[in-house]
Amino acid sequence: MFYSEQKKQISTYNRRTFFLFLLKLSLFTAVGWRIYNIQILDASKYKMLSKKNQIDLEIIFPLRGKIFDRNNILIANNEKVYDVYLIPENTKSISNTLSALSKFLDIDFAKRRKIIDLSSKVKKFEKIKIFENISWTILEKIETNKYNLEGIFIAEDHIRIYPYKEVFSHLLGYISKPNQKELSLPFISKMPDLDIGKEGLEKSFNPILVGKPGQREIEVNSKGRIIREISKVDSIQGKELLLSVDSRIQEYSINLLKSYRAGSINLINIKNGEILCMASTPTYDPNKIIKKPNKEYWESILSNSLSPLTNRSLQGLYSPGSTFKMIVAIAGLKHGVINSDSTHSCSGKIEFGNRLYHCWKTNGHGRMNVTDAITQSCDVFFYEISKKLGIDKIAKVAEDFGLGQTFDISMPNQKKGIVPSRKWKKNTLGESWYAGETLISGIGQGFVLTNPFQLAVMTSIIASNGKIVEPTIVKSKKVKFKATDKYSKEIKIIKKAMFKVVNENKGTAFKSRLEDVKFAGKTGTSQVRRISLAERESDDFRKKEQEWKNRDHALFVGYIPYDDPLYAISVIIEHGGSGASTAAPIAKQVFNFINKLDL
Amino acid sequence: MILQKIKNLNYLVIFLLILLSFIGAAGLYSAADGSYHPWASRHLIRFYAFLLMALVISTIDIKLIYKYSYSLFLISLILLISVEIIGVLGKGATRWIRIFGLSIQPSELVKITIILALAKFYNDIKFENVKKISFLFFPFLILIIPFIFVVIQPDLGTSLSIIMLGIFILFFVGIQLWKFILGFITAVISIPILLQLIKPYQKDRIISFLNPESDPLGQGYQLIQSKIALGSGGATGKGFLQGTQSYLEFLPEKQTDFIFTLIGEEFGFIGTIFIISLFILLIAVCYFISIKCFHSFGKILALGIASNIFIYVFMNVAMVSGLMPVVGIPLPLISYGGSVMLSIMISMGLVLNVDLNYNLKKLSNA
Repeated sequence: MFYSEQKKQISTYNRRTFFLFLLKLSLFTAVGWRIYNIQILDASKYKMLSKKNQIDLEIIFPLRGKIFDRNNILIANNEKVYDVYLIPENTKSISNTLSALSKFLDIDFAKRRKIIDLSSKVKKFEKIKIFENISWTILEKIETNKYNLEGIFIAEDHIRIYPYKEVFSHLLGYISKPNQKELSLPFISKMPDLDIGKEGLEKSFNPILVGKPGQREIEVNSKGRIIREISKVDSIQGKELLLSVDSRIQEYSINLLKSYRAGSINLINIKNGEILCMASTPTYDPNKIIKKPNKEYWESILSNSLSPLTNRSLQGLYSPGSTFKMIVAIAGLKHGVINSDSTHSCSGKIEFGNRLYHCWKTNGHGRMNVTDAITQSCDVFFYEISKKLGIDKIAKVAEDFGLGQTFDISMPNQKKGIVPSRKWKKNTLGESWYAGETLISGIGQGFVLTNPFQLAVMTSIIASNGKIVEPTIVKSKKVKFKATDKYSKEIKIIKKAMFKVVNENKGTAFKSRLEDVKFAGKTGTSQVRRISLAERESDDFRKKEQEWKNRDHALFVGYIPYDDPLYAISVIIEHGGSGASTAAPIAKQVFNFINKLDL
Repeated sequence: MILQKIKNLNYLVIFLLILLSFIGAAGLYSAADGSYHPWASRHLIRFYAFLLMALVISTIDIKLIYKYSYSLFLISLILLISVEIIGVLGKGATRWIRIFGLSIQPSELVKITIILALAKFYNDIKFENVKKISFLFFPFLILIIPFIFVVIQPDLGTSLSIIMLGIFILFFVGIQLWKFILGFITAVISIPILLQLIKPYQKDRIISFLNPESDPLGQGYQLIQSKIALGSGGATGKGFLQGTQSYLEFLPEKQTDFIFTLIGEEFGFIGTIFIISLFILLIAVCYFISIKCFHSFGKILALGIASNIFIYVFMNVAMVSGLMPVVGIPLPLISYGGSVMLSIMISMGLVLNVDLNYNLKKLSNA
């Protein structure tokens, strides 16, 4: 009995031992299968998740390329600035730190609230930017008081700086955060926070100025804290840009223009097309636009009725006035309407189609050949030849001399202006051309509109005897211009006349002549409004002080030296009065200035 | 006599223990970013100290152990209860007590004394009485009293392992299957009542287990991160000290409950299967000792201890691989922690003791 009982117990034990072992083995098989699933079957999925977990890519912004003038003078640079950050985890009390910091920097109640608010939202080790671009003196104070300023962290940053302030603003433009459309541009991919050029050359040369971003692969832990750097590819600074502009001339021109409310001076080297100066006023200081807060400054710019943001050299459109007479004269000579000796008599006015067309000289110039007509700027002479030429022939010549077109000089938003023709009027206004309009156009009034830079290019082509001068704003692009004899004979005659404008007693710009290096040119006075008959008949209407916005625009185009021209200029002073009295003296001053420089 | 015993020791068991503890030390070395400090060195020191203790236990006269089984159970129960009174706080649960400068979890010790008490009880009663309901009362008390105290600590993992341990032993001694089924049905019915009793954070754990992706930064976070670490290890692992997940603090409690994940990330499927195989071997050796032992006390003791190790390993691996809620069960000999090491080494001392005394005919108080 006892024996069998024990035997039964042993067999139960053995059976159940076996069963239990099998059970445990099968449970182990289950977890083994689970592990197999995770580590073998789904390994690739988890490997990818693991990568995502730990590696962060940090973009290192490149420094923007510097911009130099032709003499390697910096006109756009990057300046090291210092930003103040707060790292919440490094301070026991944020409010104590802020109180200590407020001895050096102005922290008002609202700002304080904002910082404390923000610090409770971000991760404890995240930097909060609390001040930008602090000055050196404040930086020194913070550094010396570092121990009382727990959690304060100073970091370097760079800000674009324009040492010449407002002198180059229209040429260079400024930089700012890209807008939604610009974000898709290839060169700013991955860098939505990077400032990019918004105007002028900063904008056009964005692709080369921006540079290449670097990147830092960093390992982060589950809380986002950086553990270590895995790899680092340094950013590549944007390429340097060497401009053809001479900062001395540019600055001098801007200063000359400052005596007037608005105007433009453009100077081109006719031998290589290099733009030495492209000045336009009123202007603005791009440094003030970049520096935040800039709201007040922006508002002052936008509320200025003279629109300082406009680059008048390329975007301001004016009637060329008498500076257009060279074009008409060349067309007349070319098409045989006149020759160098043919004359017209000026009585102060001509009648055409029931209308009177006046010369600026009320009593008339008398008998004039083409040289006299340019020298003394006789309007009647040009009425006569325009009448015979017709508008389309004038338009053709105007286009050949660079009017009505934009130039490949990397400047955005150039305005074409208008070189009127029959076709143009039909296409844009839907009306047919009136013959009278040809007469008005013949003295650079009416529909004709040019920007000051076009006039400088036109003058360059004349000065270089018809070579198609292609202007450039970047230095050392050795260009060969298309040499053409198309107008060389005509230009020779015109140039003689332009010499006389400045250097002959009767010339309109005689008062502005230079004795040591002689220059040639042409004045222009373009009407802003129609002069009524009553006004015209009152003797003193030209002398009367007009309201500023009703005054004529003063223009002058010219080149120097007269015999072997090197530089061509155009000057426009908005509502400056007459070209002879206002624009020509400015051109003289600029020429005088560059004569003293060793260019 | 002593020399004879040392000569007859089961060196396979000792070898497995050393191997596992070394794997543990390697894992802890990696968990500390390639440093012996703070875990690996202490882990090994503890191991050798407790190994010495296990060898001492293995040479104690088994009759003494048998004689004092109930007393040891009572002492451990008193320790467990005193945790409620003088215990220090640890991780939102009161589980620890300081004895002789050691922080000890009485709940770990109580599992061993439960095995001892049950072994003594079933050694003493006649086999024909095993199936009688009246003879279930005392074993039920041995299990339910420590269970209740562990539940109110609250320690979900340990209370669950006490239940499993009881089931394994009671099944082994010959309790009929239908009684387990009845007990299971009773448990299922009482689940809503138990749910009322458990704390909110435990409810969260169960919810997060059921759907870990629902809250990737909260409760389910550990599980997802553990799976990513294991899975990214692949077949052969990222290499020793190359585990990025644990190194980057994605892995919570990497030195204790999640050490298996860390090793799995660095040594891959090969490493994890190797560890599981070592434990299967250790358990199999215990089973072998149980089978060859003549007396019921030794049989139940060895099987109970094998079951206890099985429960640790199975629950830990199931937990870190997402088969079970994260209940806080360490991996024996590999996870860092004094209490578990102590309890495992005591139990291995007991197994070695049974192995040395397998041929005793019968143990009794007489």
